[in-house]
Order: sequence, then structure tokens, then C-alpha cells
Amino acid sequence: MTELSLRLAVSLAQIAAVMGIVMLTVMILTLAERKVLGWMQDRMGPMEVGPYGILQPIADGLKLFFKEDIVPAGANKFMFSLAPILAMVPALIGFAVIPFGPNETIQLFGMTIKPFVISDINIGVLYILAFASIGAYGIILGGWASNSKYSLLGGLRSAAQIISYELNVGLAIVGVLIMSGSLSLVKITDAQAGGFWHWYVFAFPAPQIFAFVVYVISAVAETNRVPFDLPEAESELVAGFFTEYSGMRFAFFFIAEYANMVLVSCVAAALFLGGWNAPYPGTILAHIGLEPFAWIEGVAWFTVKVYGFLFLFFWLRATLPRLRYDQLMKFGWKVMLPIALANIVVTAIAMYIYNQFK
Amino acid sequence: MAQATTRERIIDWLKTMTFYELLVGMKATMSHLIHYKPITLQYPHEKRTLPDNYRGMLALLRYDDGTEKCVGCDLCEAACPSRVIRVVSAEVPEEPTKRYSKEYYMDMTRCLFCGMCVDACPVDALGMTREFEWAVFDKRDLQLNKQQLLAIGDRSFPVREKRLELQHPNVAFFNVAFKHVPQKPN
Repeated sequence: MTELSLRLAVSLAQIAAVMGIVMLTVMILTLAERKVLGWMQDRMGPMEVGPYGILQPIADGLKLFFKEDIVPAGANKFMFSLAPILAMVPALIGFAVIPFGPNETIQLFGMTIKPFVISDINIGVLYILAFASIGAYGIILGGWASNSKYSLLGGLRSAAQIISYELNVGLAIVGVLIMSGSLSLVKITDAQAGGFWHWYVFAFPAPQIFAFVVYVISAVAETNRVPFDLPEAESELVAGFFTEYSGMRFAFFFIAEYANMVLVSCVAAALFLGGWNAPYPGTILAHIGLEPFAWIEGVAWFTVKVYGFLFLFFWLRATLPRLRYDQLMKFGWKVMLPIALANIVVTAIAMYIYNQFK
Repeated sequence: MAQATTRERIIDWLKTMTFYELLVGMKATMSHLIHYKPITLQYPHEKRTLPDNYRGMLALLRYDDGTEKCVGCDLCEAACPSRVIRVVSAEVPEEPTKRYSKEYYMDMTRCLFCGMCVDACPVDALGMTREFEWAVFDKRDLQLNKQQLLAIGDRSFPVREKRLELQHPNVAFFNVAFKHVPQKPN
């Protein structure tokens, strides 16, 4: 009984820490996106709240918190309230299997605890894919329940888009799974240790560079970001599926979008770029004799990789115009899907031959 | 259109495969990020220098001795394309040859700041100030009467010096005070 409650307390503490970090990252992202976008367009971005506008996320949060919560006439109230939750929970729940740092264990009160991953389950990748698909329901239901044509069109577009690109994400990951032989993100990350030439983008028998490109493009599409932001195309659909949402419900959708970006970046870093592994063998802190602090370097590398991805999202948004809808579908099914399938075939053959001669 | 050669088509295909055009665009945005020179002016904190001929808020002007310039001729009302101005003209008491504007109204909600009233005024009684921050909460605050317009003129032109070089010689007929204005050419 005591052990159970202790385990519960430790897990809750880990969950609280990860949630806090993710929420903080989302707050930073909302500011960073506007800043980076502004700098790229010769503007300044938010400058009013606090020095250089750094308190803007807090001001935005307070504003959304105090806004009136409007349910449009004729909307399905239950579904309307359910949709933001259905969008946000899957986005946050995926972080449970992401390894943020080295696969160390510490002994605490006679228990073995992994401090940098909430739960190391052996179907980690599958779990993330499953919950990412549930996130689509939030968008579709939100669009349908709003009783508005723009929301409905946004929801329908999102449904078609997520089905098309979810598939490519899944198929792009398969190559990595063949090479690592595991679905656990911890095991996959551990297998990439020892220099950047061991990362699965460059790894020897079958470099997953094409799968990586397919994954990044599909991830952008899956998170409804520019240039694939058709579900919320503001010049066509007002705001897409969250046209009718206001106040905290809108904030939930907003957090869901940014948390999804973070999640997708974390998965990309863990699967293709070696997760918390440094691009050189071992860690500098371990080499100079600070072995107990080597985890700091691991976490720092993971953070750098994730933020690099997030910067790529902003960069793409500053550069590219939105795709037409048929272009989106054609690109997903006729370009991305064949590349992902061919990558699986090539990887499988390469791994088979490699294992024969090993 | 000329037929693309095989070489050109191979180059096109390679460009498509390597996202060449996207990378060019991304290079452009990145160069803007690195050579960051914002053109933003933090408006309420810093204001741009207005050009000399800026057409801002309209105002009624006075002579140096404090008398109003307006003679109530209604030409501004006639010139205004948006019917902003309404003038009620009257005789100056005990001086039957002189007239003045008893009432003078401007509905600034309609004004498009074309400056035609200023051009039309024969005595230069109207002027365009450099004020532009006239956002109000109540629309009725923009319907100005004579006192308000004179007050705007007083605060914008505390020193009432005529800019003689801008004045048309025809105007000299009305402005008897300025004898050194050149004669009307024959």
C-alpha cells in the first residue's frame, strides 16, 4: 500500500514536472513565433508588454481567461464543450513516453525510478500515433458542433488532411522501427548513442533521410501549420474549425496546436536525430570527470534539437504560402506515400542483407 | 513555347526533388532574420516626422490682433466635396460693409482632408494643422463649432505669420494689411 502510494506520488510529480515544462514551452512558443515571424518580415513583433514584449504570453493568457465564453445558437452544447478537451488531452498525453534525458535509473525509497521518462512502455511510438489520431476528433467535432459553415468546412478539411498525412507519418516511422527493432522510444534513442553517424537519419545500413523528410513534411501537415494550414485558412474560412470558439475553449485549441508542435518535434528528435544523444560519442561532462552531471548535457542536446525543429516550423510559416486543397491531397497521396513505402522496402532489404553478413 | 531539352528537364526534376525553390525562399527569410532591420516605428512612443505639406485637422485662423479672418463668404462650403462645412454668415454689427461667419460648423466625420476648402478660402482663414490624433469615443465629438475650430487654430499656429510666398496675388485685394504683396499681373 505504501509502495503503491509512493509510486503514485512519484509518477504524479513527474507528470506535473513534464506538464509544467510543456506549458512553459507553449508559452514561450506563442511569443517566439510572433517574434521570429516579425523579425523575418522586418517587423518587431510584440513590444508593449514588458521589456521587448517578453510578458506577452501572460497578457494573452489573462485576456483569454477573462473573455466571455460564447456558445453559438444552435450549437450542440455537449460536443461543443467536449471538442477542445478532446483536442488538448491527446496533445499533452503523448509526452508520457518521450525520453527527455539519459536512460538512467535512480533508487528512491527502495524503488527504481527513471527520472527522464514518465513511463517507458514498449509500444511508445504506437501510443503516440494512436493519441495523435484521437486529437483529430477534437478538431472535427469542434467544427461540426459549432453550427457554422466555416467551422464545418474547416473540420472536414482537417479530417481529410489528417487521414492523408497520419498515414505518411506512420509509414515514415516504420523504417526507424525496422532498424531499431523496438517500439519503445527509450530503446530507439539508446540505439542511436555514440556520435551523429549513429543517428537514424545517417545510420549505416539504410540512412533514413527520405523518411526524415517525409516525416517532417507530414508532421507540419498533421499539426495544421503553414503551408498546410487549410483547416484554419484565415483568408478562406475566417478561422476554420475554431471560428466560433472564444475564451478558454479557444485557448485549449491554441494550446493543443502548440503542444502538438512540441510533441511532433520531440518525436522527430527522438526517432531520427538521436534524442538526447550528443552528436559526438559520450558527453563532454563525462569526459572531464563530471559523470553525475552528464545528464545535463543530454537534456540540453534534446532541448536544442526540439527547439531547432520548432524554429523550422516558424521558418516555414514565414516563407511559404498555403497550398491549394487538391495540391495538398495530391502531394500527400502521390508523392509522400510512394516515397515512404519505397523507403520501407529499401530499409527492409538493406537490414536483411546487413544482418546476414553481420 | 520552346520544347524543353532533356537536360533542362533533368535540371527541373532535380530542382523539384531537392526543394530548390523552397530553399531559395527560406534563404530569403533567413537573410532578413540575420540582417534584422525593422521598419517599425513604435507609434505612441515615437512619431514620424510629418512632411511639410501634411494635411491634418482643419482649423480657423486669426489675424495677429486676434480678429477672425473668416469673412463668411461660403466659398469653403461650396468647395467642399463632402459637405463638411456649414457657414451662417452675418453682417458685423454697426459695420454694414463687413461680414463675418456668425456660426461655422464642421462635421469632421465626413471630412476626407482634401484641402479644397483651404484652397478656396480667399482670405486664408482656413488652415490645415499637423494634428492627426483625433480618435474619439463619441462620434458627436467630431462635429465642431466655430469656437472649437478657432481653438485648434490657436494651439497649432500660436505665431500667426503669413507665409507670403505661398499666397496668390489675387488674395491681396482682401488682405489690405499686407501692402508689400506684389501687384496682380496684367
